[in-house]
Amino acid sequence: MAYLEHVTRREALLRAGVGAAALALPGTLSACGGSGKQPPTPVSTDEWRQFAGTTLNFISENTAPTSAIAANLKPFKDLTGIDVKFSQLELTALVQKVALDFASGLGAYHVVYADPYQVLAPYHAAIADLNTFNDDPNLPKIRDLKDFIPTQLDAAGRFVDRTKLYALPYDAPTLIWMYRKDIFEKHRGRMQDDLGFDPFPSDSSTWEQFYEISSWIRKNASGDVPYGSGHQAKQHDSLMNDFSNVLWAYGGDYFANGQDVGRYGSDDPGTPLLDRPESIAGAEMYRKLVSIAHPASTGWDWAGLAEAFMAGQVAMGAEWHEFAAGIEKSKIAGKVGYARLPRGPKRSANMYGGTGIAINAVTPIREQKAAWLFVNWATSPETQLSNLKSKVGGGTPTRQSIYRLPEVEAARKPPSAMPNVLTTDAVFEAWTPQNIGLRPKIAAWNECDTVIFTELSKMLSGSQSPEDCMRNAKNGFEGAIGRAAALRKQ
Amino acid sequence: MAVTTQKAPAASAPHRRPLLRRGISFEAKMLAPAILVLAAVSIFPFVYIIVMSLSQVKLIGGISFDWVGLDNWSRLISDNAVWVSWLRSIVFFVLSVGLEMFLGIGIALAIYETRRGRNIITSLVLMPMFMAPVIVGLLGRFLTDSTYGLYAWLLDQTGLYNGDILGSTTSAFIAVTLMDVWEWTPLIALIVLAGLSSMPKAVLEAAEMDGASYWARLRDIVLPMLSGVLIVALLIRSMDAIRYFDIITNTTNGGPADATKIIPIRLYETAFRFFDLGYAAAIGLSMLAVTIVMANLFLRILNKRKGLAQ
Repeated sequence: MAYLEHVTRREALLRAGVGAAALALPGTLSACGGSGKQPPTPVSTDEWRQFAGTTLNFISENTAPTSAIAANLKPFKDLTGIDVKFSQLELTALVQKVALDFASGLGAYHVVYADPYQVLAPYHAAIADLNTFNDDPNLPKIRDLKDFIPTQLDAAGRFVDRTKLYALPYDAPTLIWMYRKDIFEKHRGRMQDDLGFDPFPSDSSTWEQFYEISSWIRKNASGDVPYGSGHQAKQHDSLMNDFSNVLWAYGGDYFANGQDVGRYGSDDPGTPLLDRPESIAGAEMYRKLVSIAHPASTGWDWAGLAEAFMAGQVAMGAEWHEFAAGIEKSKIAGKVGYARLPRGPKRSANMYGGTGIAINAVTPIREQKAAWLFVNWATSPETQLSNLKSKVGGGTPTRQSIYRLPEVEAARKPPSAMPNVLTTDAVFEAWTPQNIGLRPKIAAWNECDTVIFTELSKMLSGSQSPEDCMRNAKNGFEGAIGRAAALRKQ
Repeated sequence: MAVTTQKAPAASAPHRRPLLRRGISFEAKMLAPAILVLAAVSIFPFVYIIVMSLSQVKLIGGISFDWVGLDNWSRLISDNAVWVSWLRSIVFFVLSVGLEMFLGIGIALAIYETRRGRNIITSLVLMPMFMAPVIVGLLGRFLTDSTYGLYAWLLDQTGLYNGDILGSTTSAFIAVTLMDVWEWTPLIALIVLAGLSSMPKAVLEAAEMDGASYWARLRDIVLPMLSGVLIVALLIRSMDAIRYFDIITNTTNGGPADATKIIPIRLYETAFRFFDLGYAAAIGLSMLAVTIVMANLFLRILNKRKGLAQ
């Protein structure tokens, strides 16, 4: 409390105002459709101001929520007196910097955008357990941990030990089916007659039907759009994401008990299952889908596919739902429909690509506590709502209560001031435990990811069959897992 | 002169004292800071990387080395993927450096013969080499994009190619090779142009007076006189070509189907994606060895030529 001795009258009034606002906000949110049962958490200015004057470094992928927060950090500065410096990078560059920072022991970054597969799984030993801060009576607690979408809290926040929480869900991009509603409507009758099913996405839509729709559009509607579908099939992480939806839909998987390995992570995932008949069937289907798609698909990652979709080159594709923000500002704004991805013989699977933010355990404990304030604030309902509304952001909230707010509910229909909310129905279906697609959260994932997308790229180029592709991928996985285990052996 | 420099030390030899008794000479003291800087930036990292190549490097909890002897080296020798990357590097090297030499010489000769607007033409020709390779990669990706790329559109309109340039194995390899050729041909042209400018005009004029055709002068006088310069140009570009990285990273990142995964891309992937730093050190040292062998080869040719000229 010594700092109070130096507080001016103006500062005292400002802090009282901030405190009052912080106290009022939870009540406001619950009145707007939150759980309503939860008493407002007491927030004192003392516990938020105790690290005033600290400067934190936050390293993040160049994603929407970070852009939004960076553009409007004032509420956090006013609340805490803490300044935050942002380093926004492409994900691969971020992983390198974080890994080297952990290794150096310097702790250059206090808050880390902890990709569950490329940062959390291999480097969880260097990340602080957030329960330590949440249980500290001198620090503000997380407001309603259960408000986070459960699958995301586990997938983004935990690794193996379910009692530990390494990160709080920060964003939640998920692959969904984006299609040109206008073109589907225009040709709906003819497609239905020719194909024998309604082309509009439904619960029963399958990947086989996706292929037939794509093929039909290419043959019959190329005046409206040159190709029926596009894929993010570049030799890149995007190819693994795009393929995995089909793999899981056809009953294939990377490992036995794949959903658990994806949700909670594993130190010992067991033998890869990629050479199983279901996995090979998934690879065959994926090759078939790409064969009818825009030929440039093999050169597109997610950004390339989004550009082609917005440029009117393809009528549909599987794309991250956060791209809706850009799509609804493009020339096809208002013409796009969003749905859960088609199903295969087994299920519908929608790749989840969300990430949490974590605290670097290498930094001094006082700075970790200051970082906790930021992590707590950045994932709070108010900040997530603000990000969603941000003109530079367009985030993807990870708290359920946000989607129940009346203004967010109202934005679910076009024209929408919060375009990402247009995808709400699709993503909520995608996030159910039976539909979510979770890649393996294992320490060797960086190398396994490279193995699978390289082998798939070879398959798509025609240099190997789906069977060889999956067999080679399995062998590659085994080698990578063995090497990663050796690197971690103490 | 040579006799003098050989005799002088011999004459002073009886007066020499062992190094330790003599202490550090004035020259050595003057050189010491430079040697220390050189050791810090070059010798120490070199020794460090050798130790890395003989260890398994762990990052968590601070960097630690576990001695594994020659494991990384034996893995390197038996790793087919690395050999395939070396093969791709050789094909890339031959194609890119070959085209750059051929076009660079041609452009330099054309500029040399130009009488009007020579400075403007030279400036324009040299522009690509002033661009950062990463920008060349981004520009190349933009121009070859099948949705809005100018080159993709031109090839499609002319019916020459209608697929995705960076999405197919052969076209992607050709594209990244041509991007390098576009950027670095001007360097060869500049070096050759400098060589041409320093050639004695009297010899060429005499040949012309004697009725030698342009091609005869080129074959029998110009190219032989330029050969020293050409070897230097070849040496510079060869060492660069082995390290070709930026453009591929920004365009294909080694794909599709590993078609453009030359050895520097594999090294980067091993070091900074898989963080298998011990193995990456072995790959890096093998690249260094190849570069040194190549440089020595060219220098030997150069020295042989100098010997013949004297």
